[in-house]
Amino acid sequence: MSGGLPKALPSTGPHSLRDMPHPLAGSSSEEAVGGDGTPSPDLPTARSFGDKDLILPNGGTPAGTSSPASSSSLLNRLQLDDDIDGETRDLFVTVDDPKKHVCTMETYITYRITTKSTRVEFDLPEYSVRRRYQDFDWLRSKLEESQPTHLIPPLPEKFVVKGVVDRFSEEFVETRRKALDKFLKRITDHPVLSFNEHFNVFLTAKDLNAYKKQGMALLTRVGESVKHVTGGYKLRSRPLEFAAIGEYLDTFALKLGTIDRIAQRIIKEEIEYLVELREYGPVYSTWSALEGELAEPLEGVSACMGNCSTALEELTDDMTEDFLPVLREYILYSDSMKSVLKKRDQVQAEYEAKLEAVALRKEDRPKVPADVEKCQDRMECFNADLKADMERWQNNKRQDFRQLLMGMADKNIQYYEKCLTAWESIIPLLQEKQEAK
Amino acid sequence: MEQAAPDLERPLQPAPLEPLGHPDAGPEAAVGEEAEGAPDEEDPGDRTMTENNFCLKKIEISVSEAEKRTGRNAMNMQETYTAYLVETRSVEHIDGPSVLTDSLWRRYSEFELLRNYLLVYYPHIVVPPLPEKRAEFVWHKLSADNMDPDFVERRRIGLENFLLRVASHPILCRDKIFYLFLTQEGNWKEIVNETGFQLKADSRLKALNATFRVKNPDKRFTELKHYSDELQSVISHLLRVRARVADRLYGVYKVHGNYGRVFSEWSAIEKEMGDGLQSAGHHMDVYASSIDDILEDEEHYADQLKEYLFYAEALRAVCRKHELMQYDLEMAAQDLASKKQQCEELATGTVRTFSLKGMTTKLFGQETPEQRESRIKVLEEQISEGEQQLKAKNLEGREFVKNAWADIERFKEQKNRDLKEALISYAVMQISMCKKGIQVWTNAKECFSKM
Repeated sequence: MSGGLPKALPSTGPHSLRDMPHPLAGSSSEEAVGGDGTPSPDLPTARSFGDKDLILPNGGTPAGTSSPASSSSLLNRLQLDDDIDGETRDLFVTVDDPKKHVCTMETYITYRITTKSTRVEFDLPEYSVRRRYQDFDWLRSKLEESQPTHLIPPLPEKFVVKGVVDRFSEEFVETRRKALDKFLKRITDHPVLSFNEHFNVFLTAKDLNAYKKQGMALLTRVGESVKHVTGGYKLRSRPLEFAAIGEYLDTFALKLGTIDRIAQRIIKEEIEYLVELREYGPVYSTWSALEGELAEPLEGVSACMGNCSTALEELTDDMTEDFLPVLREYILYSDSMKSVLKKRDQVQAEYEAKLEAVALRKEDRPKVPADVEKCQDRMECFNADLKADMERWQNNKRQDFRQLLMGMADKNIQYYEKCLTAWESIIPLLQEKQEAK
Repeated sequence: MEQAAPDLERPLQPAPLEPLGHPDAGPEAAVGEEAEGAPDEEDPGDRTMTENNFCLKKIEISVSEAEKRTGRNAMNMQETYTAYLVETRSVEHIDGPSVLTDSLWRRYSEFELLRNYLLVYYPHIVVPPLPEKRAEFVWHKLSADNMDPDFVERRRIGLENFLLRVASHPILCRDKIFYLFLTQEGNWKEIVNETGFQLKADSRLKALNATFRVKNPDKRFTELKHYSDELQSVISHLLRVRARVADRLYGVYKVHGNYGRVFSEWSAIEKEMGDGLQSAGHHMDVYASSIDDILEDEEHYADQLKEYLFYAEALRAVCRKHELMQYDLEMAAQDLASKKQQCEELATGTVRTFSLKGMTTKLFGQETPEQRESRIKVLEEQISEGEQQLKAKNLEGREFVKNAWADIERFKEQKNRDLKEALISYAVMQISMCKKGIQVWTNAKECFSKM
């Protein structure tokens, strides 16, 4: 969509509200609109609920997955998403090239964000900007604010204990870079979040700080409305599926926590094993110096153990840098997801309370006041978004863990293979000269 | 250089003598004396098989069982000890069947008695060591308890090894006491004690670190002693660190077992991922339990190293004996020299050395010519005796050096062979461990891929 529409067009929520006829009311589109703001002149209004046609705010033809739509078509598009591999992807984001900046006030790291896209939301086909962790943090807050019905991916931990971890060490920076890259890729893959305005600005703006200062409330309609949901309403009954999700997340986080502790313990034991190995190998060298015929074999054993020690160190480094952070990320992820679930409960509670209040008043006609309708819309929208995101999350989680655990197995295999090579190579050395004697 | 087995009735005889002009023998020790070859006693160079010959070809020895016993000790108090069954089989023909010829029970203290006897009667031999009396270099999973079945089992193997080593030694295998150890259960201890070997044992050998100032040490023995000290030190260090390594490795493997349980619990809440997680967890359990066998095998390697740790001690003992011999020789030579000088002074009337007689003469008056004559005669007798003894000591020393050095060469070759084998088998163990690791993780990876 070019030109005519204001750039601040939100990408979700209000469309679905407007497009969906209210279940309690008639099918009049006017009522469906409800009178909270004029629809954009370019927006066609859809009639049917569950219409398979994609509703496009920009009036163009559907270009695969590039456009947001009603929640039903959202689901459809999710299915389409699964079928689509890189070929019809139209947005690619990468985080790389960390650089250290030393200023008078502080020292910090920036990362280069490269964006390639054919989407119309982007003026240029390619962008390259530099961002620091703060900026990512800002983006995440904004996404949480503006897309409260969606699951926002987690960021790597913000604070590091000074003195324990070196914030500027290569390993730490690389681990963080990978996590930030994952964060952006998860947003990129999300059919709704990837169209978020804040995300767009994050990827493209030369001066992000200026934009931040503008403090423009670029909330989506839903964001706006959910923001005003007051707590304090008691939830009558949680729909089964959300109760199940809640329970699942609880157990999931618990198990991940256990796995994290086990993995840490393994690394600790491996490091202690490494310390002893590093003392063990050289003793063979010392012995070798005393001997004549045995000198070479003993020296060979010493060198072999040195190689095994190196291999072990590589294993522990890999596990620390690649395995643990991903586990922690998922624990953070499930924590933030539970907050979203809570928020959903509140939205439902508010709706139920208001509905009950109306029922109690028993006016002449069971005409549903507008604000109750709004609540219901809000709730149903939330439910739909959340459900879709959960499904998406489950799929991604499965991929991620499959990859993570296979990676862990791989690293262990590689470690043993390195040791095997080392030991096999000294067998001939140990055996030689016996015949020659 | 064969040595006839010492006859129990005759007192300890020196080994058959052979002339040897050893270049390194201290010149003072051979002061003025040229070693003459005493006539060779029978030199059975062709190793005639006497009935007592237990060289390995003819027999098989095994320590096949261990049994807990209770009995009364010397102070009539009840004690618990372990007895070991020593079985001897003779092989009539090569590849033929072995026939059990002897079977008796021995306890560790009897093995010790045998070894102490061998140490006294064969001072120039590097006598094979016994397995350790108490468990040392244990890592946390091993027991330091002497009654622990694993310790008893490893000791059984060590005792068998000791007997095999003695039986395969060209000289020790012919010893009658050794023969009786294998064949005569009752009364053996009394027979050994009757040899009076404890009396013959040089008590100075017990003072391991006491120094005896030897004026002309044999460089080869000095180096060898130094080597044995270093070897003991390095192998001890190695065994200590190895025990710690084993401990840590155990920890690494066992913690992985926890994955088994948590994967199982996690799989319960998953749909598609569940099966993969569950089966991967099983492989983690397999991994965790594999370490027990691995480390048990490694104990065998540690035992091989331990044997040579104790062998180093035996090597040192030989050097020590030589040192003492050399010291005694030098003392004897010194004594002879001073007597000769005294004699000369008496004969010529010049007093160069201090003597009590000289002092008293000065104080109380000169002695009569008759007195001087008699003194000279006594000294001459003593000198003659001393010269004989010195000659004998020299020859004894040279013989010791020759025989000892021959055994040391034999020992060196044995050591190099054995330790190379030990290193190879250790490498093979490590290779096996790596292959098992690869197998388990490959299996786990496949399970993960099905998640």
